[in-house]
Amino acid sequence: MELFLMTLTTGIMVGGIYALVALGWVLIYKCSGVLNLAMGELTLIGAYVTISFYSWGVPFVLSIVCTLIVGIILGILVERIFLDRLIGEPILAIIMVTVGISYFLKGIIEFIWGTDIRVFTPPIFSLKPFSIGFLKISTVYFWSFVLAIVLFLVFVAFFKYTRWGLSMQATADDETAALSLGVSARFVYAASWAIAFMSAGVGGALLGNINGVTISVGYLGLLVLPAVVLGGLNSVPGAIVGGLLIGVLQNFAGTYLDAYFPGGVKDVFPFAFMAVFLLFMPYGLWGWVKIERM
Amino acid sequence: MTRVWLPCGDYHQNYAEDQGWWQTRVIQGKMIFLLVLVFILFPLFLSGYWLSVANMIGYTALGALGVQILIGYAGLITLGHAAFIAVGAYASTVLILYFPWPHFLVAWGLAYPISIIIAAIVAGLWSVLFGLPSARIKGFYLILSTMAAQFITVDFILTQYVSQIGGRGQAFSLPPGTIKIGPWLIDSDRKIYFLMITLLTLAVIVTANLLRTRVGRAWVAIRDNDVAAETLGINIVWYKLLNFFVAGFIGGIAGAFWVSNCAALSPEHFPWFWSLWLVGVILIGGAGIDGVIFGSIFMVGVMELIQIGVISISDVYPELMIKFLYIKESVFGLAICAFLIYEPRGLSYRWWQIKNYFNLWPFSY
Repeated sequence: MELFLMTLTTGIMVGGIYALVALGWVLIYKCSGVLNLAMGELTLIGAYVTISFYSWGVPFVLSIVCTLIVGIILGILVERIFLDRLIGEPILAIIMVTVGISYFLKGIIEFIWGTDIRVFTPPIFSLKPFSIGFLKISTVYFWSFVLAIVLFLVFVAFFKYTRWGLSMQATADDETAALSLGVSARFVYAASWAIAFMSAGVGGALLGNINGVTISVGYLGLLVLPAVVLGGLNSVPGAIVGGLLIGVLQNFAGTYLDAYFPGGVKDVFPFAFMAVFLLFMPYGLWGWVKIERM
Repeated sequence: MTRVWLPCGDYHQNYAEDQGWWQTRVIQGKMIFLLVLVFILFPLFLSGYWLSVANMIGYTALGALGVQILIGYAGLITLGHAAFIAVGAYASTVLILYFPWPHFLVAWGLAYPISIIIAAIVAGLWSVLFGLPSARIKGFYLILSTMAAQFITVDFILTQYVSQIGGRGQAFSLPPGTIKIGPWLIDSDRKIYFLMITLLTLAVIVTANLLRTRVGRAWVAIRDNDVAAETLGINIVWYKLLNFFVAGFIGGIAGAFWVSNCAALSPEHFPWFWSLWLVGVILIGGAGIDGVIFGSIFMVGVMELIQIGVISISDVYPELMIKFLYIKESVFGLAICAFLIYEPRGLSYRWWQIKNYFNLWPFSY
């Protein structure tokens, strides 16, 4: 029972980070209809930029802020250079452009930073776990979760209460109507990419805190895809639930299934679960069911 | 798009002529010259290095052919085709190394050819297994389930379980002399080239003809509008699964061929990158089977050119040699983006335009 609860809490904490990254993904999809496969590399960039600033002596919170700024710039650049010209193209073209971007970025990251594992030195969070009742929670997980939730709330508040956020919601809901009301769609696209880069970047920084920064952080960023599929592609609450679910499932698989399937079951389980899940619920939990007419 | 421009005053008189592949004398001559070129002149005059490049092109083209059948002809976008190539390669290797072959089969050199066929069938069935979701889902959801195929097959099943067969750990090593077809031992680039070009030619002929049968037309109908195709009485689930089978079958052949080219087989030969690479090949190549060939030549050729360039400046900046893989990834990404933005219909469309221009040259209308 204790093991069960520990796994559950760890899963929820990691899931919080996935949910944050998933939010960025869903945002791009809702606003501009782009299905983004570059999420893994966006998290990688975040992780490496943060660790670079940190190793230059910038305090951790400030390096996160710097990551956010780099994220905004990169997001706008990527949108302007690549995606802006492909609005209205078929789905394969857009997906493959994001794949192209991801490999372009990945190559550059590896070229600059190499493939060695890097850790945050000195460590930001103490290595000693603290306990609530009988639950032992690792400090890194806890603070990452808290930071992820705070940022998540900031983003949600941005959508609900600011002018820019509302114009993004309007575009996501009905692009033509939003355009006729004077909302600049191009601004919204750029903003959605900037926010996605920011959320993925912070997610990457937090994930890098847990296991150290390597190229495999990009793989963790890719786990956001099962998360958004479980939740439904165009649902923000779905992204949260999907992210948490993937975190929990991944940790349960690591704890309980590893005895039966030794090896990397933790890494592939989210994808395997997703493939089976799609057979029964093709549109995820809250995704819009597409009605097709000829 | 007319496939063939006939000379003035030349008409078809029956259906067979109208459907023929080589409709005029000029085309016939060109194609025979092409066959002579690839079957006789290349192996005679090219050096070992260029033949190994040609083998790489052939392997890429075989893999991309399966992807083209899925994406280009049935609209089923796949980002996990390397998984099926890997299944083919592993099935073939395990059969060669551990199956108790009767002695006369080994003596006659039939073990490898038989294993190619079995590997292709196994890969096809494996592909159908992961194609099953396509009965209910399409678009992005289908893409994700093919990605799941990649991670489950290569990163989990092959790495963790299949590699343990024989207790050697990570890689299967193929001792020299195991790959044998009939009386020939496949041990040099030239022999591998002959195997490659034979398999590729067969695969292209079979695919091209399959695509103009009832099956191929059903696939194209599903690609263009699956709802309309269903109202026309096409059983779309059956045809989609058949499409997955054929694509996986060709992928399996590609994998089983690749076994002959490498001394040791490990899961690192089939990363997710390779799946994306194959999709990139058909995006750059463009529509149709000629798109597959153009794309493979372009991608492999560009990478070789970059490698030559990097080697030549490596005296000045030796670090570039170590980081070549990263340059390759970046160039791949940039090439895909550039092609989708500036040349979205690919090289085969450009080739078609050039041909048309010279058809009337120098007296255009």
